Amino acid sequence: MTMETERLAARLAEVAAPVRPLPRPWLRTAAWLLVAVPYVALVVLVVSPRADLIEKLSDWRYMVEQVAALATGITAATAAFATVIPGYDRKFLFLPVLPLAIWLGSLAQGCIQALIELGLAGLSLRPDWACFPWIIVVSAVLAITMGVMLRRGAPLTPRATTALGGLAAAGLGDFGLRLFHPQDASLMVLVWQVGTVFTLTAMAAWAGHYLLNWRSMIGIARRTVVVP
Amino acid sequence: MQAAQAGNTHAYAQLLEEITPRLRYLVRAQRKFLRTEDVEDLVQDILLSLHAVRATYDPRRPFMPWLMAIARNRLADGARRYARRAAHEVPVEALPVTFSDEGTNRDDGGYRDAEALKRAIRGLPAGQRDAIEMLKLREMSLKEAAAASGTSVGALKVAVHRAMATLRKTLIREP
Repeated sequence: MTMETERLAARLAEVAAPVRPLPRPWLRTAAWLLVAVPYVALVVLVVSPRADLIEKLSDWRYMVEQVAALATGITAATAAFATVIPGYDRKFLFLPVLPLAIWLGSLAQGCIQALIELGLAGLSLRPDWACFPWIIVVSAVLAITMGVMLRRGAPLTPRATTALGGLAAAGLGDFGLRLFHPQDASLMVLVWQVGTVFTLTAMAAWAGHYLLNWRSMIGIARRTVVVP
Repeated sequence: MQAAQAGNTHAYAQLLEEITPRLRYLVRAQRKFLRTEDVEDLVQDILLSLHAVRATYDPRRPFMPWLMAIARNRLADGARRYARRAAHEVPVEALPVTFSDEGTNRDDGGYRDAEALKRAIRGLPAGQRDAIEMLKLREMSLKEAAAASGTSVGALKVAVHRAMATLRKTLIREP
């Protein structure tokens, strides 16, 4: 850098345009849900809801898993938005742990129960590759919206932030998928659906440094202070 | 900061002016081994980062934890960059300009036979000899040599050029 620090500070002040402070993480989550929920509902309506959906609403296991998936998505989104605010408590990173544990715990309990009731036949695993593209379809707009919103924050922990954002989008994507995709065997859900959610989360974490980095943000700031 | 977010450039300038020495102190305290210009680079990096994400400041929360979170993050980034750079560098005190092998250093010492060179210079006409002595052996500038000998700069240039040509011929012929 060649510019003297004091001169840079003065120049930054000169070119500073008014900015609207980012709302609190939970408010941003609510804003994200305003886009996410109608989109998921639209996809479910277009694909057409599963025939036994009304019956399923009285199936406690289905309801626990759906509520846990939804809560995982919402808490992961709140955590992701908190991680881009400097000075926010890092404990927010662990916000989705409890709903995720309930979700996985319910599925694990379902696997054990199937094993007890049906023996090894209860744990049969069939290929169901359709889960992967469908979860992507349901969560695509959610993930893009999330990415755009996260880029307004500070890239303090890029990988963790995008991983949480990916978990939020994929979690809600799986919630939507189970409204039209009749797959309820715990092991199948665990492997194909939760497996897809974790794969997408890992891919989002990998893309963290490309999506969120100081280099691009500082580059923009630096260009504004350069005298033409 | 709240005023700065609203577009009050005076308040923003005052804020940046106040925090710059604090940031400099922080960087110096955390990175004692850095040179002054590297410290300034890091301070500027933090200022640019703060500016880029000033929308993330929540006016209902204290300012210093927000600023320190950015500063610490940028310092950690700087340390990672430094480590990456250091991992790909080999520290050397003076880079060799050529290989040490004898084959690559045949002409590095000029004429090997100093006595022959002295003889050849003594054999030059007086004007050329004086020019060589002043400009090549005593390493005077053209202006100084011109003033000392009372000749013009142009005449000295010609004399040196001719003397060099004569010496080259004489020394190549001699061995």
